[in-house]
Amino acid sequence: MTRLSRFFLYFILVVLAVWQLPWCYAFLTVKAAPQRFVMYSSLLGDFLLTGYEEGIGLTRHDTQGRSYTEQEVDSLLPMFYMRQLVADERFPDSLFGQPVSPREVQQTSFNFRMRPSAVNAPASGIYFLLESRPKRVELQMPDDAFRFTDEGVEFIVMETNTLDAGKSTRFTEALLAKGFRFPPRRVAGNPTTMKEYDNGYLLLDADGRLFHFKRVAGQPYVKALPLPEGVEARHVFVTEFRDHKLLGFLVDSRHRLHVVRADGSIAETGIPAYDPERDDFTIFGNQFDWTVRVASPGMTHYYALRADDYSLLKTFDMPVDGGEIPGLSFTSPYDQYVRPRF
Amino acid sequence: MLKAILYKEWIKLRWYALLAVLVTTGVAAYCLLRMDRAVTLRGAGHIWEVMVLKNAIFIDYLQFVPLLAGVLTALVQFMPEMQRKCLKLTLHLPCSQQRMVFTMLAAGVLVLVACFAVNVLVMLAYLTTVLPAGLTLNILSAAAPWYLAGLAGYLLTAWVCLEPTWRVRVAGLLVGALVVRVYFLSAVPHAYDSFLPWLAVFTLALSLLSWLSVTRFKAGRQD
Repeated sequence: MTRLSRFFLYFILVVLAVWQLPWCYAFLTVKAAPQRFVMYSSLLGDFLLTGYEEGIGLTRHDTQGRSYTEQEVDSLLPMFYMRQLVADERFPDSLFGQPVSPREVQQTSFNFRMRPSAVNAPASGIYFLLESRPKRVELQMPDDAFRFTDEGVEFIVMETNTLDAGKSTRFTEALLAKGFRFPPRRVAGNPTTMKEYDNGYLLLDADGRLFHFKRVAGQPYVKALPLPEGVEARHVFVTEFRDHKLLGFLVDSRHRLHVVRADGSIAETGIPAYDPERDDFTIFGNQFDWTVRVASPGMTHYYALRADDYSLLKTFDMPVDGGEIPGLSFTSPYDQYVRPRF
Repeated sequence: MLKAILYKEWIKLRWYALLAVLVTTGVAAYCLLRMDRAVTLRGAGHIWEVMVLKNAIFIDYLQFVPLLAGVLTALVQFMPEMQRKCLKLTLHLPCSQQRMVFTMLAAGVLVLVACFAVNVLVMLAYLTTVLPAGLTLNILSAAAPWYLAGLAGYLLTAWVCLEPTWRVRVAGLLVGALVVRVYFLSAVPHAYDSFLPWLAVFTLALSLLSWLSVTRFKAGRQD
């Protein structure tokens, strides 16, 4: 027993050392990593990198190393710096032969971010289904919440914590009528009133088929969205951008990113790979192009896509000096779970 | 003999046990009262929303209470033992020393488990009336590592109390503080789910450390 106790104490000391010493070293030697903001300019046909460099100050240049002034950058990214250009009375009347207006820029520009820690997170299994055609202009949170079971969907009245059997049956039958098989593999939605409209949920059913599910005038709306040949959906994300063109994004088992259009059609984008469980993902989009940032461990990839057919225009890779010291950790920036990992 | 040991420990702990149950359950009840007030003022829907969308658990005040209860249990149980040199007498009783030491620890663990069980029952009694099972589980899953920290705090403090030299006691306090940190790395519901069974085994294994202190005590180690 004494030997076992001593062994256990040594085990604790080793674990604490492997856990705490790298953490202490990293804490004491931490340096601010140079941050660069990268955007694709369709006018330039290249990425523009804005950042701060030690001893030089703020720098603005393209991937070929050509430097630009602040005003030049504003002009090269008219969709992104629209407000500055309007203030300077330099906003163009047309771009690429198309008339543009500040209002149009506001309507068609969006940004989207998805962190791996949001994907690799425990879920409560409780969801809120907003009315997507509200009588008032503003969205309102519903009086009930819903959850999926192996047999159907259950709505629970929050004030009384009781099941709404009628509504549960109605929505379950609507899903079953469209061929939905319970329980769903993925449930994606943005149940918040801090948006202009509600797209409901994108669901992957037990067979991996994609469905659009929302509440319209109190009634269930279910639409099966056929996946393209050879696409096995793994992750779905709902979007509610101002231009109403998209329902969301879909990532398949081969880490290909697809766009789910408002009409339910699905188009593959030119992004070579995006793993939602590992990569930090950002899109800055406008009516002409999208700048997509996929930050993988050790490398940040930038992709420029055409906004109309999502084809790849240009890529730019930037190595990231992780500077990580090997050791034991119980938490991770990639998920919200606590467990030992090296 | 072991029954007698358990009775001896119960005599030492009974009033503290009552106080621990009252205080920990009081804090849990206060958390529930605040939650009930929020339900009354803003509606149950608001509570559900912040729980689902912001991972709120409403029992944050309870976080370090089980740990404190565990540490105090060990102090109440073993400080007099060491100050009055009772441990020496206990170890001379005609019974296996290991069994006696672990029975003493088991007594403390049982008191804490009973105290924490009362907490959980009080929480369940209220939460199940206003929340669905999924959200009640969210709260309990976030609290589970805190209650394990209570047991860890008890076993680590027992190790430090039973240790005969101040040098190792101070080192033990440092190790104990780092070990306890593992139980408070995240308050996100279900964050510990996969790790919790291993953490529970590790927590119970911390009782082995007290035996190390007792062997050093028997060997006559002094400052």
